[in-house]
Parts: sequence; C-alpha cells; structure tokens
Amino acid sequence: MTAVKLIAREEWRMLARNRSGLIATGLLVLLILVAGFTSLESRSAIEADRTRYQASVDETFDAQPDRHPHRMVHYGQFLFRPIAPLAFFDAGVNSFTGNTIFLEGHRQNSANFAEARQSSLLLRFGQLTPAFILQTLAPLLLIFLAFASVAREKERATLKLLLAQGIGGRSLIAGKMLGHGAIALAVGLPAFALLLGFAATGAADWATVGVMIIAYACWLLLWAFASVIISALVARPRDALAILMGLWMITIILLPRALPEAASAQNQLATKIETEIALHRDLLKIGDSHDPDDPYFNDFRDEVLDRYGVRTVEELPVQYAGLVAIEGERLTTQIYADAAQRQAAREREQNAFVHTFSVLSPLIAIRQLSMTLAGSDPAAHQDFLDQSEAFRYEFVQRLNRMQAELLPEIGGEDPRISAAYWQEVPRFSYSPFNPLADRTRIIWPLLVLAGWLAALCVLALFAARRIGGVAR
Amino acid sequence: MTNIFTAPAIAIDGLHHSYGANPVLRGLDLTVQRGEIYALLGGNGAGKSTTLSALLGFLRPCSGSVRVCGTDPVADARAARSQMAYVPENVSLYEHLTARENIGYFLALAKAERGGDAIEAALSAVGLTQAAKDKRLSGFSKGMRQKVAIALALARDVPVLLLDEPTSGLDPRAVLEFNRLLDAAREREVAVLMVTHDLVSAVDIADRIGFLSEGKIEEEQTASTAGPRFDLNALHDRYTLVAGAPA
Repeated sequence: MTAVKLIAREEWRMLARNRSGLIATGLLVLLILVAGFTSLESRSAIEADRTRYQASVDETFDAQPDRHPHRMVHYGQFLFRPIAPLAFFDAGVNSFTGNTIFLEGHRQNSANFAEARQSSLLLRFGQLTPAFILQTLAPLLLIFLAFASVAREKERATLKLLLAQGIGGRSLIAGKMLGHGAIALAVGLPAFALLLGFAATGAADWATVGVMIIAYACWLLLWAFASVIISALVARPRDALAILMGLWMITIILLPRALPEAASAQNQLATKIETEIALHRDLLKIGDSHDPDDPYFNDFRDEVLDRYGVRTVEELPVQYAGLVAIEGERLTTQIYADAAQRQAAREREQNAFVHTFSVLSPLIAIRQLSMTLAGSDPAAHQDFLDQSEAFRYEFVQRLNRMQAELLPEIGGEDPRISAAYWQEVPRFSYSPFNPLADRTRIIWPLLVLAGWLAALCVLALFAARRIGGVAR
Repeated sequence: MTNIFTAPAIAIDGLHHSYGANPVLRGLDLTVQRGEIYALLGGNGAGKSTTLSALLGFLRPCSGSVRVCGTDPVADARAARSQMAYVPENVSLYEHLTARENIGYFLALAKAERGGDAIEAALSAVGLTQAAKDKRLSGFSKGMRQKVAIALALARDVPVLLLDEPTSGLDPRAVLEFNRLLDAAREREVAVLMVTHDLVSAVDIADRIGFLSEGKIEEEQTASTAGPRFDLNALHDRYTLVAGAPA
C-alpha cells in the first residue's frame, strides 16, 4: 500500500476510534436523511395541495353560469405553481416567492402566498433541507474532523517521526487530503443516494442529478481540503480551528448576506408603489377608449371600419367594444411586459453582482448551482411567471374574441353567452423548467468551485514544501 | 564516488548552520563508523538536536557536508532516511493505536513491513509485557512510550540509529536493558549516534564520547579496551565545564 493510502487509512481509523467524531458524523448523516425524507414528504403534500386547489378553481370556473365574457375576464383564473421534483432537495427561493397567481384582464398580478409568510418563523432561518445541511452544517463537521489533521502531528511531534520514516511532505498532505476527502464524500453519501433514488424513479433526470452530485462533492471536498491545508500551514490545531471558523463565518454566514445588500444598494429596485404609479402613468398615456376625442382610439376605430368596409361601428359584424378590449389588452400587456422586463433586468444585474463575488464565497456558487438544478431559483420562478403571463394573455384575448364575435348575434340589454363556452377556455399547462437549458447559469458556479479546488491544490503543494521545515 | 558499503555510516564535515542570525553549528566534524556507538554530550543550545535534524535532512546547512551511508540527506532525504531509524526526545506516538499497531503503521510507512513476528520480537526486546503490546498508548507512561519508540527503531533494522535522549524517562532497569539492546545492535554493525545528558549511560555503552560546545566538538574520548572504559570523574568534570551545569 502506498504511503498516501496508509496515511488516509490511518485518518479513517482515528475517526473510527474517536467517539465524538463518530457521533458528530452520525448525527449529521441522520440529519441529512431526516431532512431528505421530511422535505420529500413536505414537497409531496404541497404538490398534492396545489393540484387539488387547481382542480377546485378550474371546476368552479367551469361551473360559472351564462355571463357576459368581460365578466369572466374579471372573474379570472387562479394558477398554482407546480413544484419542481428536486425542490425537495433544495427549496431555494420557493419559500419566499409566491406560489399562487391570479390572472385577470388589464393587469399582471404578482404571485402571492409565499410559504414563508404562512409558516412559522423558523422557516425564515432556513428550511431544513438536505441542501441547507450540506451547504451550512456539513462544512462545520468537516472542519471539526480535519482541523487538527496535520497541526496535531506537529504539536505532538509525530510529524518528525513520520518524516523520519522517509515520508515526503507531499505524501503526507496528499494522504490527509485523501482521508478527509473520502470522509467528506461519505458524509454526502446519504444525500447523493436520495438524489440517485429520485432519479431512478424517473422523477428527476439523471443529467441534472449527476451535475448536482458533482457540485456537492466539489463543495464538500473543498472544505475537507481547506481544513487539511490550513492545518498544515499553522503550528497548532487551535490556530487552524480559529482560522477555519473565521473562514466559515465569512464565506457562509457573512458574505452571502452582505453581498445581496451591497447589490441592492448599488442597483435599487423600484418599490411596489413606485412600480404601480409608473404603470398607471404609462397606462394613461395609451388613451381612453370611451373618450370620443381620444386620438389613438379614433384612429383605431377608423382602421377597424376600413378593415371591415363599413362606415359606422353599428354596421360592424362584430362587437366594437370587444375589439377595443382586444386592442386595450394588447397595449396594457405590452406596458406590463416592458415594466416586468425592466424589473427582471435589474434583478439579473443584482444577481450578477452577487454571483461575481462567488469567487470570494463559494457558498454563493454552490447555492446558485443547487437552486438552479433543483428548479427552485429565481430563474425558474421567472419562467413560471412568463408562462403564466403568456397564458393570461391568451386566456383574456380568447374571452375578448368571444365578446367581439358572439355578442352581436345575442344582442339585448344584458347579453350573455352560454356557460358551455367556459369549458372551451384553455387551462394552464406548465411546461417544466429545464435547468440545463441555459448552461451559462451552471458553468460559472461550477468553474468557481473547480477554481477553489485548484487553488487549494496549489496551496497544498506550498504547504507540503513547508512541512520539512516545520518538522525542525 | 563514495561506496555505500565502505563509507562511514555518519560523516559530518565542517557543518555550519544558523537559525536567523544565531549560529548554532560552527564547523562540526563528526564521523560514526558501522558497529560504533557515539554519545554526543553538550549543554542546552549546544547544537545536539540541530545535528540530528541535519542528519535527518530537516534542515539545509549553511555550509559543510552531511552524509548518511554515503547519501546526502538534503539532496535525497528519502534515501538517507531509509538508512536511519530515529527515536525523538519527546516520544509521541499515536494514542489511539496499540503499541503493535503503532509499530506496524510506521514500518509500513517506511516500506519496512517486517511481519507480526518481527514486531513481536522488537516489543519483547524492549521489555514490554504481552498485555501492553495490545494496549492503546493513551494509557502508557512516558517510559513505556519510550520503549515502543525504541522497539520501532529496532524493528526498522537499519544501519544507523539516531537517538535523542533515549534513556530519558526510563527506570534504571530499563536503562540497563536498553544498553543491552544497543550492545546487540553494535554486534549487528549498526552505527548509533546518541544525543544524551545521561553521562553514566553513555559511559556504560558508548565507544566514543564527544562534547559539543558552541557548535563543534570540543573534545572527544574513546573507550579504553583495557580497564575501565572511561574515567567517569574526568568526564564529569569535563562535561560540567562544557555544559555549564552539573551532569
């Protein structure tokens, strides 16, 4: 057996005989399993609830009596965001973004009823998911297990004896890294098994699960390697512990919270009231279809009359108010879409700012990667909003066309169309978001993690060169 | 070119070394032949441990040369260390391992796997009881740990032994047993360099005794083949003078 493997095996034997280390490792593994199964259960419950609510509101919509189509435009539809399969592993921003959206004519509503608002305060500290445990708690365990790995040899003078057997600094560091790297992967194993099991059932695709496992393996290796290398660079285990705890606090607690604040200060988003006021102003600029002197709608009326080859709106074969509703919806939708795009662009800039600094805090990289692959990141939420908005437009325009085309045949003071038409109105069908479609969102965080690992390997070479000197 | 079989086991020539601006070794010359036990005595800070570090290749000398069985430990530390076994002053082995496991692990690292019998023999040779051999070191006294380290050095079965205060922590009976082991090593043509404060033990076992002072050998005495090996009183006076304190 090579010296590297011997040293690695010795680290495992030491862990196996260290009761506190074994208990801490066992507890973390147990916590991952508990979090995995409770998250899975919670996800299934949420999915079942949303499916039931969706079926209920669809049924109620279908059961509406004969009505004027414009009444149905305002009756609207509720959509419940389907939860991504891997969201059980990483809830991402799902708990904080709304999961229900009310679709109606003339306006885009935001999604409401976020889980965090309906749940206990504990949720705001971070949902107990396997991702949370792997991202936040697992590094602490790996530090605890490895902070003394090399420094202990120096402090107890076994390093001198090791080197006297002909062991080089590189073999020593490589052995310690192999030992603690394997422990790190073993810690992640229950989570990886859950992911693989999920993929085996067909609920998630293998590629996504594969990238997720690689990303978390890199993340765990990063902390195991960092702990060994810092341990090799300092003289005493307690110095290594102090440095590693500082690193944990800065990269996992401080930076991921401070950077979004900095991004927000640098590129402020408009408040909801400001957005509403700006939208209202833009809507006023369109014009008023009820004003006989409104230039835009006068031009629109003339264009419609020309198209149908008639002189007055009363001669039209369709209801003019219905055509105005179609045109009005087109215009307001454009205004809302422009505003949404501006808002999304600012959010993207904020996210880009934060992600640039993931070089400093690899937690940002693994969190982004994990959320993206789990389909619980802001992009997945935006995808749901985009799909729901596209559907809302189709839904409203369908009713507007019914108003324009069906009402002239009905006539009367209170014209209504048959309730049977409500069942012809399309229902929302969500196309699952493909996290691998936009590879750029995955490549950068993976590069950051790989870069950290590469930098640690370089640092390991430096530490290995110093080992002989330290033994003196 | 030096022949590995004819070269002295240890050859130090004009060795200078400083820690920063503080010179520790100032032209040290020292040779230990195969089958010879050399006791290096000196006061605190005389450079005894630095000499051992230079032999082990833990430091790069400012000038001079060091050879272990003809190999430069700075140029090829691994090859040089494969020729040496080392017992440090403050023995610290792995407390979570038994005496037997400790020796097995270090031998495996040294690529000197001797098998269970050799380990058993080495542990028995240093006087460790059967029960102690399979006991974790966390329950061992300083003397027992010292014995395990000595057993490891013996089990390595190498031509050079470097011993840093090897009898520290050993009771008088254990010191006698240890000297007997060194005697056996000498019979096997092993070169032993022993850094010690224990003048009595050195007188009992050493073939030569060197007094290290201000980074070089101040005086060297060779054991007499007739009558008493050394004049203990004269050595004591000399040592007091060199070390600046009673031995």
